Amino acid sequence: MRMRVKLYGTLSQQFPDYRHSQGIEVEIADGATVKNLLALLEISESQGAVVAMEGRILKADDKMGCGAHVHVFQAIHGG
Amino acid sequence: MKFIRVNMNEQTINVEDVPQDYMGLGGRGLTSIMINKEVPPKCDPLGPDNKLIVAPGLLSGTSLVNTSRISIGAKSPLTGGIKESNAGGTVAAALGRLGITAIIVEGQAQEGDLSILRIDKEGEASLIPAQEYRAMRTYQFVEKILEAYGKKTAVLCIGPAGEYRMPLASIQTSDIDGRPCRAAGRGGLGAVMGAKGLKAVVVDQGGKRADAIADPKACNEAAKVLSKIIKEEFINVNMMAPLGTAALVAPVNSMGAFPSYNATKGVLEGWENIGGEAMAELIKKRGGNTTHMGCAQCVIHCSNIFVDEKGKYVTGSLEYETIWAMGGMTGIADLDTIARLDNLCDDIGVDTMSTGVAIAISMDAGHKKFGDGKAAIEMVEEIGKGTEFGRILGNGPAAIGKHFNHARVPVVKKQSVAAYDPRAMLGHGVTFATSPMGADHTAGNLVGLYLAQQLDPLKPEGQVEASRFIQTAMAAFDVTGLCFMASVALLTPEAGEAFLKVLNAKLGTQFGPDDFPGAMGIRVLKAEKEFNRRAGFTKEDDRLPRFYYEEPLPPHNTVFSITDEEIDSTFDF
Repeated sequence: MRMRVKLYGTLSQQFPDYRHSQGIEVEIADGATVKNLLALLEISESQGAVVAMEGRILKADDKMGCGAHVHVFQAIHGG
Repeated sequence: MKFIRVNMNEQTINVEDVPQDYMGLGGRGLTSIMINKEVPPKCDPLGPDNKLIVAPGLLSGTSLVNTSRISIGAKSPLTGGIKESNAGGTVAAALGRLGITAIIVEGQAQEGDLSILRIDKEGEASLIPAQEYRAMRTYQFVEKILEAYGKKTAVLCIGPAGEYRMPLASIQTSDIDGRPCRAAGRGGLGAVMGAKGLKAVVVDQGGKRADAIADPKACNEAAKVLSKIIKEEFINVNMMAPLGTAALVAPVNSMGAFPSYNATKGVLEGWENIGGEAMAELIKKRGGNTTHMGCAQCVIHCSNIFVDEKGKYVTGSLEYETIWAMGGMTGIADLDTIARLDNLCDDIGVDTMSTGVAIAISMDAGHKKFGDGKAAIEMVEEIGKGTEFGRILGNGPAAIGKHFNHARVPVVKKQSVAAYDPRAMLGHGVTFATSPMGADHTAGNLVGLYLAQQLDPLKPEGQVEASRFIQTAMAAFDVTGLCFMASVALLTPEAGEAFLKVLNAKLGTQFGPDDFPGAMGIRVLKAEKEFNRRAGFTKEDDRLPRFYYEEPLPPHNTVFSITDEEIDSTFDF
């Protein structure tokens, strides 16, 4: 399935052609998990990436839904 | 270790050694325990019996980085309860280097008198007449003070709103560049200072009379280890330095918890325009600074300098909470307008958060339309001019709600909530409801736990316990002068141990992890709760407004679901 992913924090820096208005379009297998998505994007665990879909934060083993808006940002504490 | 007691009735200053009862306290611990002991709880917050206490942290003035938080305490004219509000900048480090544990401002000057308290580099304090600065805004005021006393002067001052004794009035502090853009914003402490007849505290930063350290070698060694940890901490390097606290706009909107349009929605339309990513891009394009050092001894640099299209300074450190209050709550998804509002609030001397919320309530009530930036700027200007409407607004969100007979007023103990909706982040509701300070994110912010997936923000289970834990920890760290960003770096065992070493080496104590943060935090919170109880607060005051229980918040369409009984168990120490 294809999905559009938007990156926040400083994650977009590793994608030189990243345009925020468009995000990144990725092709991922049906039933793929959050972990699979981050691996595909080459975002490592140490980068503190958090994936949210439909207003909810997903766990590493949660399955990605089809056609959803996906936001990937980084862990941060309050300000 | 000395107290400077300033009697505004007599215009006299007494310097005394710190009494035994207050030894080993600093920052919020000192202000709160002293208020509970010395301020009559039912006194008029703007009368002579209230005391304004200015206290650097226990570690301010030591070699440990990021320890320049200044705590200011008094009985609050906004909440009617105890208040501590702390700010960054330069004044805490300056006082620490002079061995000044606290300045205690007592009594009240004669009507019409206005003074500056000046402390020179030897630590000598004097009151100086300040009539020429009456009703002066803070930027112009600080410029004149730096001209008069030198660039290396730390300033803590009020603007016109404080002189007008408005419950939204802040106390501003100067940053590294000498701009009054840091604020002890919450609780109307500027009004207490104004009522005392004090325009400013002006401190020479060149002092070399810091308190003796019990074990200087151990203190410096541990401080060195800790400084490296704080400087290299992942979030500080990758988020706080490049984006600042504004980096929270994306996750909190993505979680549907960004209170927008006076807390009727959890996502702001156009939030990406005001997020940390967009702000950093704009600042860089215009030649501003995204990794600004704002506070003394800071190694994190979460501050920024926001400039206009011509590259001219607009405001210093545009922060998440201000972006939310002036942008999310008002529906103004435009950084230039928000930056202008931030600057105006600093200049007039009002809390950006409660002011933004008060504006949003007026918009919700139909006074102006959501998204009307021009109207928002005019409203804040009215506070500065002291017009009739400005004075109503300056009385705070609850007052403006009453003025318009509008029921949706997001406050607890009359202080506005912060940028995390209690219906989508339940634990923040617990903190807002129970903090002795009134609704206050700095009292116990749980967003980090939610993002780390240690707690589900939408499930009631575990929220009370988490809020209790973080409120206790914050009450303790607010004693030390350490900034929140630095305290986050202490979560590893190595860092926690190094921090205790610094504290013990400074004080000559043997504190273990049970003593700090645990016992210290509980001691501070108990004093605060006791003061509020004696001031007349009951558990009925520890409640969120009804609409949080009755109006579902999109997109989750949930309400606040933690019971009163659970809320009341928060401080079952």
